[in-house]
Amino acid sequence: MLRRLLSGIHFPLLFSVVALAVIGILFIYSASYRDPGNYEAKQVFWVLTGLTVLILVPWIGYRPVLSVSYPFYVLTLILLVLVDFFGSKVLGAQRWLALGPVVIQPSEFAKLGTLLAVVNFLGSHHPWEGQVRTVSIALMLIALPLILVMKQPDLGTALLFIPMAVVMLFLWGVRKRFLIAGFSALALAAPLAWGFLKEYQKKRLMVFVNPNLDPLGSGYTAIQSKIAVGSGGLWGKGYLGGTQTQLHFVPEHHTDFIFCVIGEEWGFLGSLLVLCLYGFLFHSIFLVMQHTTDVKAKMLCGGVLALLFSHVIINIGMTIGLMPIAGVPLPLVSYGGSSFIMTCMCLGLVLSVYKERSIF
Amino acid sequence: MFTRFHFFQVFVFILLALLGFGLFHTQVLRGHYFRELGQRNRIRLIPLEAPRGRVFDQKERLLAANRPSYNVVAVPEDVTPEVYPRLAKLLDIPEKEVRRRMSAGREYPFAPAVIKEDIPRELAFRLEEKKPELPGVAIRVEGIRYYPYGEIASHVIGYIGTVNRVEYDVLDHDRFGVNSKIGRAGIEKAFDDFLRGWRGGQQIEVDARGQMVQVLSDRKPEPGSDITLTLDLEFQKKIMAMIEGKHASIVVLDLETEGLLAMASAPAYDPNIFVSPATSEQRLQVLKDSSSPMLDRGINAAYPPGSVFKLVTALAALDLGKITPETRFYCKGSFQLSPKAKVARCWLHEGHGSLNLYEALERSCNVYFWNLAKRLTPDEIAHYAHELGLGEPLKLEISRMAPGLIPDSSWKKARFKQPWYQGETLNMAIGQGYMLVTPFEILRLTSIIAKNGRVVEPHLVVRDPRMMHEAPHVAIQEHNLNAIRRAMLQVVESDYGTGQLARVDFDKLAGKTGTAQAPPEKAHSWMTGFFPYKDPKIAFVVFVEHGGSGGITSARLVKQMLEAWKDLHAAPAA
Repeated sequence: MLRRLLSGIHFPLLFSVVALAVIGILFIYSASYRDPGNYEAKQVFWVLTGLTVLILVPWIGYRPVLSVSYPFYVLTLILLVLVDFFGSKVLGAQRWLALGPVVIQPSEFAKLGTLLAVVNFLGSHHPWEGQVRTVSIALMLIALPLILVMKQPDLGTALLFIPMAVVMLFLWGVRKRFLIAGFSALALAAPLAWGFLKEYQKKRLMVFVNPNLDPLGSGYTAIQSKIAVGSGGLWGKGYLGGTQTQLHFVPEHHTDFIFCVIGEEWGFLGSLLVLCLYGFLFHSIFLVMQHTTDVKAKMLCGGVLALLFSHVIINIGMTIGLMPIAGVPLPLVSYGGSSFIMTCMCLGLVLSVYKERSIF
Repeated sequence: MFTRFHFFQVFVFILLALLGFGLFHTQVLRGHYFRELGQRNRIRLIPLEAPRGRVFDQKERLLAANRPSYNVVAVPEDVTPEVYPRLAKLLDIPEKEVRRRMSAGREYPFAPAVIKEDIPRELAFRLEEKKPELPGVAIRVEGIRYYPYGEIASHVIGYIGTVNRVEYDVLDHDRFGVNSKIGRAGIEKAFDDFLRGWRGGQQIEVDARGQMVQVLSDRKPEPGSDITLTLDLEFQKKIMAMIEGKHASIVVLDLETEGLLAMASAPAYDPNIFVSPATSEQRLQVLKDSSSPMLDRGINAAYPPGSVFKLVTALAALDLGKITPETRFYCKGSFQLSPKAKVARCWLHEGHGSLNLYEALERSCNVYFWNLAKRLTPDEIAHYAHELGLGEPLKLEISRMAPGLIPDSSWKKARFKQPWYQGETLNMAIGQGYMLVTPFEILRLTSIIAKNGRVVEPHLVVRDPRMMHEAPHVAIQEHNLNAIRRAMLQVVESDYGTGQLARVDFDKLAGKTGTAQAPPEKAHSWMTGFFPYKDPKIAFVVFVEHGGSGGITSARLVKQMLEAWKDLHAAPAA
C-alpha cells in the first residue's frame, strides 16, 4: 500500500519538506521549552498530519481537486466571513476560527482556495481571446478574499495574494502591457491605500523606513530580532544556547519569529542551510513545472512557488530588517497547524503534477 | 530560448541569493557588533515623558507650570541584593517598599522602575555621590507639575495624578507610560489631550555595568500645548481673599468676551499636594475634610435660589401677559391662597403696602410674587426657568452638567407619585421648595438678562473673537427684559432697595439679592447682578453658604468685588 502511494513521488521535494519540518520542530522546542504549551509535541502531530496530506493528495490527483475548486473557493470565502463574526480576537486581529477542538486560520485556506479557483479559471480560457474580460474576472476572484483578509486585519497575509496572482497571470500569458499597467496602477493606488491602513500598520511601515520613529514600539521588535539573528555570528551559540530569543526580547518566537532562534543558535551556517533547503524545494518545483505541458498544472506549480517564496522572503527579510514587520509565518518551520497543512496541500498538488507528468 | 518560465526561475534564485547575502551581512560581517549588543542585552529603552503644556491667565501669568523633580529610578536587572537596604535607608522608606517598587509592572525588560519621585535636591546629590555603592540606581531629572498660586484657582485648573494600571492598558502608549500623569479635575482633566504632548524615547546601548555607551535611536518628546484662560489672576486673588474662611463662591463674567474673569470657591485646596507622592497625608486630609474643599461651590453644588428666582417668576408673568410692570398688588404682610388656606407671611411682617412690579422686586416682596404664583402654573414657571438656562446643561469647559433641579408637575408625579399642589407654586415663585440651582446657572441667567436676551455661555479658555458667532436669543420679549433690568437697578439704587449695601460711587449697579431659607441653619446668602447698568461690562454671582441675609453678607462682598474690578479693569478716564 505504502509502496503504491510512494511510487511516482518526487523524492527531492519530499526530502526538503521533511528536513524543514524537522528543523521546525527542533526550534519550536528550543524557542518554547521554558514556556507551558508543549508546542513541539503539537507540531509533531501537525507535521505527521501534513505529511499524510502530502502523500494522499497526489493519490487523488490535481485534476479532481481543480474540478471542485469553485465550491472550495466559495467555502473559504464563507469561512473568512464567519471569522469576522465568530472569530476569536488575538492581539487585536480576528484571524482564528474555532471548529470544535480545532482552531483554524481561514486566511491560510483562502490562499489555497484562491490559487485553485484562479488556476482553473485562467486555464479554461485561452490567453489570446478576450484577454481583458478574462483578466478582470480573475482579478475579481483574487480581490474578494484579499479584501476580507485585509479587514481582519491581516495586511501581511493579504499582500501575499499579490505575488501569487502576478505569477499565475504571467505564466498564463497575460500581455506585458497589462502587467506594466497593473504595476503602475498599484504604485498609484499606494498613497490611496495608505489612508485605509490602521494606525499600527502605518506605524510599522514608517518604522521600516525610519526605525528611529518608534524606538519603544515596533522599532524595538525590529532591532531585537536583528540582534538575535546577528548575534548568532558564523557558527551560532549552539542549539538551546540562544539568549535573545529565550529571554523573550523577541516576541512570538515560536511562530512568526522562529527564524530568529535558528539564526541565533545555528548562526549563518544554519541560516544558509535553511535557505538552501528552500532553494532546493523551489528548484524541485521548477523541475516539476518543466516536466508538464498542462497549462493549468504549470500555473498551479507557479502559484504555489510564488506563495511559498514570498512567505520565505518576507519572513526572513523582516528578521534582518530587509522587510517591514508583518505577521507572516515561515512555511513548514513556524509553529501552526493551518499553515503547515495548507503548505502540504499545495506541495501535494505539485507532487501530483509530477506524478501525472507527460513522459517525453 | 529565454521564456517567461526562465525569467521566473532567475528572479526567484536572484532574490534568494540576495536574502543569503543579507544574512551574511547581518550574521558574519556585523555579527560581532550584534553579539556585543546582545550580551546581557545591552539595549535599554528609556521612555521620555513630554513636558505638559502650561496654563496662563489672560495676562500671560503662569497658573500651572513645570518644575524639575529628582526621581530615584533603578533597573532591577542591574541591582545587586545589598542595594535594597542601602537605598531604603537613604530614602528613609521601608525596604519592603523598595522591593515593591522594583517589582512593579514595567513597560519593557530593563526599563527603569521608579523607586521614589520628587526627592529633595540635597538628597539627590547625596545619592549621586554614593552611586558606586548603588549599582543600577540612577537619579533622573524630570518635569513635574507645579501650581505657583496654590489655592487661588484650584477648582478651575484642577490637578493631575498618576495613571493606574487599568487606565494604562487602554490608553495610547505613545502618549502614556506606566508612570505618566493624567489630568484628574478642572482644566487639567478637560484639556488633558491638549496639554499632553507625545512621549519620546531612547534606545541606548549600555555596558555591562549598565552605564550608557551610546544612543542608538532617539525620538524627542513633543511638549504639550499651552492654554490661556480668561481668568484674571490678580482679580481672582483679591476675590479669594474676600471669601477666605467662608463657604462661598463668587463668579464674575466679562460680558463682552463671555469669558470668566474670576471663578472662586472657598474653601479651596492646594493642587500641588496631588502632584508629589510625598504629600499623601495632606491629600488624605483634604479629601476627608468635612467642609469639602474639593467641591467647587460655583458649579458642582446646588442650593435653593431664594428671592433671586423672583426674576424668573416676574419674567414669566410679564411675558405671558398676566401682568404689566405697572400692575399693583397690596401687601398687608400676609397672604392666603383661599380663605381656609394656611397664612403665608411676607418677610416684612408689617407689609409693603401697594406695589407695582418694580417696587416688588426692589423690596423683594413675597406677597406680590404669591399673587403672581396664583396666576401661573408650575410648568409655566419651569418653562421660563429653562428658557433662562436654569437646569440646562452648561457649555463650560470643565463641567457640562448642572446638578440643580427645576421642579414641575410631571417631575413631582414621577418623584412622589403625587399631584402638584398650588401651595407649592407659592414656594416655587420665591425660589424655595424643591428648587435647587448652582451659582453658575444664576450667573448665566443674569448675563442673559443683561445682554437683552442673548444666550450667554460663559467659558474659561480664551477664544478668537472672530469665533464668536451669532448666539440665539431666548424667546422672551425684549421690553419685558428691559423692565426687569430697570427693577434690578432699583434694587441697588433705590433707597428702599434690598441691595443698597452693594452700591458703589463710580457707576450704577443693577442686581438682585436672595436670602434662601435653609433651616435649621442660617439662610444662604445670594446676590447677582450686572455692572454698569448702562452698557454692562460684567455680570456676577455671589453666594455664601449659610451667610445670612443676601442684602447684607452678599451685598457687601459685591461692593468689595466691584471696587477690586474697577482698580484692575475700568478705563481710568471713563
